[in-house]
Amino acid sequence: MRYIELFLQYSGQYIKTRLAYRSDVVVGFLFDLLQQVVNLTFIFLVFDYTSSMNGWSRDEVIFIYGYFLIPFSIFMAFFNIWQFNDEYIIKGQMDRVLTRPIHSLYQVLLEKMELESLLGCLTGATIMIFSGFALNISFGIKDMLLFLPFVIGGVLVYGGVFVFLASLAFFTDSKLSIMPMMYNVGNYGRYPIQIYNRAIRFVLTWILPFAFVGSYPASYFLNRTEWVGYALFTPIMGLIVFIISIYFWNYGVKKYRGVGS
Amino acid sequence: MIQVRNLHKSYRVHSARKGVAGAFRDLFSRQSYEVNAVQDISFHIPRGEIVGYIGENGAGKSTTIKMLTGILTPSCGEIICNGMNPHMQREAYVKTIGVVFGQRSQLWWDIAVQESFRLLKKVYQVDDRTYQHHMDLILSTLDLSELLDKPVRKLSLGQRMRAELAAALLHNPAILFLDEPTIGLDVLVKMKIREFLKEINQTYQTTILLTTHDISDIEALCERVIMLDGGNIIYDGNLSELRRKYVTKKQISFEFTKPTDIQTLSSQTEHLNLKWKAGENMHQWIGILPISIREKASISEVMTAVSKQNEIVDLQVRELALEEIIRKIYEKGAVHG
Ligand SMILES: Nc1ncnc2c1ncn2[C@@H]1O[C@H](COP(=O)(O)OP(=O)(O)OP(=O)(O)O)[C@@H](O)[C@H]1O
Ligand SMILES: [Mg+2]
Repeated sequence: MRYIELFLQYSGQYIKTRLAYRSDVVVGFLFDLLQQVVNLTFIFLVFDYTSSMNGWSRDEVIFIYGYFLIPFSIFMAFFNIWQFNDEYIIKGQMDRVLTRPIHSLYQVLLEKMELESLLGCLTGATIMIFSGFALNISFGIKDMLLFLPFVIGGVLVYGGVFVFLASLAFFTDSKLSIMPMMYNVGNYGRYPIQIYNRAIRFVLTWILPFAFVGSYPASYFLNRTEWVGYALFTPIMGLIVFIISIYFWNYGVKKYRGVGS
Repeated sequence: MIQVRNLHKSYRVHSARKGVAGAFRDLFSRQSYEVNAVQDISFHIPRGEIVGYIGENGAGKSTTIKMLTGILTPSCGEIICNGMNPHMQREAYVKTIGVVFGQRSQLWWDIAVQESFRLLKKVYQVDDRTYQHHMDLILSTLDLSELLDKPVRKLSLGQRMRAELAAALLHNPAILFLDEPTIGLDVLVKMKIREFLKEINQTYQTTILLTTHDISDIEALCERVIMLDGGNIIYDGNLSELRRKYVTKKQISFEFTKPTDIQTLSSQTEHLNLKWKAGENMHQWIGILPISIREKASISEVMTAVSKQNEIVDLQVRELALEEIIRKIYEKGAVHG
């Protein structure tokens, strides 16, 4: 398909450009790693005082954290649209995008790709495997088959929410600062959502469903059967959120007013 | 090829109120008003024509181009280009057009020109053989071969503009839209670009619509101009017609060896229908001569009369330039007759 071919073409181009800045990539990765170490230390510190948080042991929390990093890193690599308002609407780059025969969102995502973020998947997988061994969980064929749809579902949830937010730029001419705020909300998905109060749980499940990125699917792999239904709903939730946001984007494109130049 | 009927576009502009209290009130009810950028325009451009779309700053040129290229949705009216509705069928439609915005780059900033072209080739699904053949022509005409390895951000404006043109034509579009393609370019590059556009137009029958503030672009390229003022078309027709209608005088500027004055000059040319105007100093005088078909020989008569009694250092005959014609039209507001 043409869209896959384009993806390969853009990726090739991206890698070629990035290779010139190899040291940047390495530094970026190390910095990212450092951040994970800080976060994990935080978890360790918390569990110095308590052996369980609302029914979750330390290793389980760390497992969820590690799992979350996988869809999250993929999201970071392919939905790098934090600056969409500034770069595409205010600077008028959207004009160019709209004169090309490919879906506009796809073009923006391809242009903004940041493939080195995918390295975060390795960090995530490592954390997951180590805590998985500590917990002695078995990882069967069924788990393997579900892993991919779960991860994709999580990516779509995350991506969908941010595409939706980016689309708001089509309607307003003022600068938006919701993105960083939402980034923090998204991070709530890194921890088992049972540690939050009911209102937050509801929001993270049905309004801004970040719980489907980490918490629900990871609890499935931890054999916590209480939330199996939610876990299995992950890919569907991903599709719903993503499709809604694509519609919203397309609607926004119709309202696009450009900038006078 | 391009069919526009009763096209209208207005922008809603929000005005921010002053101060903190104002900002707070803006939260609940925002004051806004409409800017009618394009009022009600209709025109038809057949295949293969090169049309100049001109008008003052803010006349609505770019807005029209953006509607014709599918970027903006018209508020009212109908556009059919290449048999399609640009906004409704945008992705299919943009395959058949090329766009260049002089003010903004259409290329990827960080990657080499060559790589940009390669990406666009994929984007537009141009097959290898067509690409090879077509691009050879473009690259050689635009003299781009040496620039292919440079990243776009390292190109000079003129180099970039040539690359932009090549990129816009890579898929051999039936219509080419150019919004101020020669802005900020030196004369040589401008000429090269004009030559190129003519060649493309002749080879492929490409329809070209271009906006510009440089009237010499129009003179070099277009048979037809559409003139826009305040969102309305005030003239649509032949360039030569426009000139014929408006060029009613010739100016003959003299520089004499000795200073002189208006009485002396007027008396020397009494028998001629000539008005005198002062130049920059007492040596320089400008005679304004009405043109009519009957009095073809009058320039030589003026020359004879003037040179008989004055020694001439320099002499220049000038028609009203197109630029001035256009300025006159704007001052009057519309084209009469
Ligand atoms: N995105 C926008 N939002 C609000 N008003 C706009 C916008 N774009 C253009 N306008 C207004 O619409 C009118 C027409 O603008 P347009 O850019 O079409 O003019 P133009 O003929 O291209 O002018 P120029 O020669 O300066 O490029 C102007 O009054 C301008 O202020
Ligand atoms: Mg303009």
